Amino acid sequence: MIILVGLNHRTAPVDVRERLDVPDPQLAQRTAALRGLAGVDGATLLSTCNRVEAIVSTRDEDVIETIVDWLAASAATTRTELEKHLYILRHGDVVKHLFRVASGLDSMIVGEPQIGGQVKKAFLTAHELGTLDSLLTQLYEQTLRVAKRVRTDTGIGEHAVSVPYAAVELAKKIFGKLGGLQVLLLGAGDMGELTAEHLHAQEVKQVFVANRSFDRALELAQRFDGAAVQFDRIDEHLASCDIVIASTAAPHFLIEPQQVERALDSRKRRNLFLIDLAVPRNINPGVGRIDGAYLYNVDDLQQVADQNLGLRQQRAREAEHLVLREVESFRKRLVAQDAVPTILELQQRLEAIRATELEKCLRRVGPMTAEQREAIELFSTQMVNKILHYPILQLKEASEEPHERESLRRTIRKIFGLR
Amino acid sequence: MTLAATDTLYVALVCYALGTLAALLSLFTPMKRLQHGGLLLMVAGFVAHTFWIGTICTRTGHPPITNLHETAAFTAWVVFAVELGLWIRYRVYAASFFVYPLVLLLLTLSAVIGEQFAVLDPQLRSNVFTAHLLLSTVGVACLMIGVAFGLLAFLQDRALKEKRRGRLWEWIPSLSVCKSVSYRALAVGFSIYTAGLMAGILWSYRTTAGLMDLRVKQIGAVVAWVLFAVLLQQYIAGAYRSRRTVLLSAGAFVAIVVAMLGISR
Repeated sequence: MIILVGLNHRTAPVDVRERLDVPDPQLAQRTAALRGLAGVDGATLLSTCNRVEAIVSTRDEDVIETIVDWLAASAATTRTELEKHLYILRHGDVVKHLFRVASGLDSMIVGEPQIGGQVKKAFLTAHELGTLDSLLTQLYEQTLRVAKRVRTDTGIGEHAVSVPYAAVELAKKIFGKLGGLQVLLLGAGDMGELTAEHLHAQEVKQVFVANRSFDRALELAQRFDGAAVQFDRIDEHLASCDIVIASTAAPHFLIEPQQVERALDSRKRRNLFLIDLAVPRNINPGVGRIDGAYLYNVDDLQQVADQNLGLRQQRAREAEHLVLREVESFRKRLVAQDAVPTILELQQRLEAIRATELEKCLRRVGPMTAEQREAIELFSTQMVNKILHYPILQLKEASEEPHERESLRRTIRKIFGLR
Repeated sequence: MTLAATDTLYVALVCYALGTLAALLSLFTPMKRLQHGGLLLMVAGFVAHTFWIGTICTRTGHPPITNLHETAAFTAWVVFAVELGLWIRYRVYAASFFVYPLVLLLLTLSAVIGEQFAVLDPQLRSNVFTAHLLLSTVGVACLMIGVAFGLLAFLQDRALKEKRRGRLWEWIPSLSVCKSVSYRALAVGFSIYTAGLMAGILWSYRTTAGLMDLRVKQIGAVVAWVLFAVLLQQYIAGAYRSRRTVLLSAGAFVAIVVAMLGISR
């Protein structure tokens, strides 16, 4: 059976989570330690800033106590203290939980993409250490497939839900790939800096920084491997830059429609994306009416982020349905796989009875034509198949609860006299 | 036409109809599977369509572009081939909302007319005539794709300007891709179409000693050529976002359709 013991951002405050957090370099060592606990057949450890989960396969449910003690010792706390924050899942609940986690459905920001990579890392670490058994291997392989399918089919992670990311998303809607573009950052407001940082991460060609204080501009430019420009020379850069981020504390407009018209003329009407993150605004709203200029202020971007959040929630509902279907299909596969040895034995047993009885019958009846013999053989085979049909069906569709499955298997073995 | 050839045309038609339906339904759901299913159906239709074209070519010894029935079907085939190429290159889903119905419309037109396939009169056969037919059809197909992507660019520009997302928002690629594909398709299509018209005029001059008759087909073709020339100039001037450009595209499209409807043996 599979068991999960863990805590996350909903069940534990940050001071508890940070005590259990497993830094990357220690992940292998901690996973190996988990596998080393008595009664654990296979083990993986998933650790992110929002969750720590020990997932094990075992034949003994008492192992849960051992894992709780082990986690309490790791967090240097008492078992009673830790238990308040823990959740314990078994069998199908673990499958559903892991599918949801890897798809980003259980994340603080629904649909965030990093979690998929973190689940994969937990799997690969355990795989390299050899702490996985076949059950956990199948579970993780299926989890990664489901996570990929959820992302591809529902597009749950495609939409930005923060203002800086919304700006990057819009830039992509205008320019496609951002590599090769030039960015002009006006001022050193926090949001502007963050947006420029995101654009820089998209490998834009160059970031120019203009600020009233040239030293501050130089400092920021260094951060983005860019260049500092004099504040009074922004007109030149309006013509050469494709994205302009305004985030100064100036109480008036710094960019007027005439400047943008001139810039667009000299850049042969190539599109210009202007992001005004300042309050009071730095770019005259009239700029937004110019063909080829796309102006978004902080409210517009917040609206985009809010709409995206709504979209993500809608996608999440679709993703939940998909996950449920996948859980059911995985359960059926595991149960069917579990039943294979009994089914094979059952088939062999009845085939042996059929062959023996057929032989006796043929000897008693005496000589007969080939057609007659074939008819009797067909009759016996069909009869055996019909007898086996329902027991096999029951074995394949048995409950996910291992005890119930085992009880059914024992009954069938007893009835058919299997060893 | 033999039963087998007609059958493949109807198989293509059914696949295109189902593919178009799937693509249009995907507007109401974010599930990309429906779009992929639609694309697969369209490709299946395209295979049957290609088989039909191959059969006609084998029987007549020339491409199926001698009457409206054949030209509509052949144009639909080229339009989808170009769309498929663009999908492979840019993964543009939104074009399917315009291109698939266009392909379906053209093939339905062809199936409704359902004329016998035509073998060219040996007296009419010449390389110039074949070049005229081929170049005009391929040119028209590219121009139609250009118009479809131009419309996408316009919709994307409006959505970005007005900060409002429509149902197509997610499916439309970046403004830059829409504009660049539209411009290239129009530029290439216009050049090929012009060469096709020139070949037609040359052929007309050789066979009738006149430059061209002034029937619906010819008038439609020339009007379309002028409108596409103006449209291309708008793109070069960077004015592709304007409402005027959309009206020009619509006019050029109608002129092309009129020219096609005027095609007779």
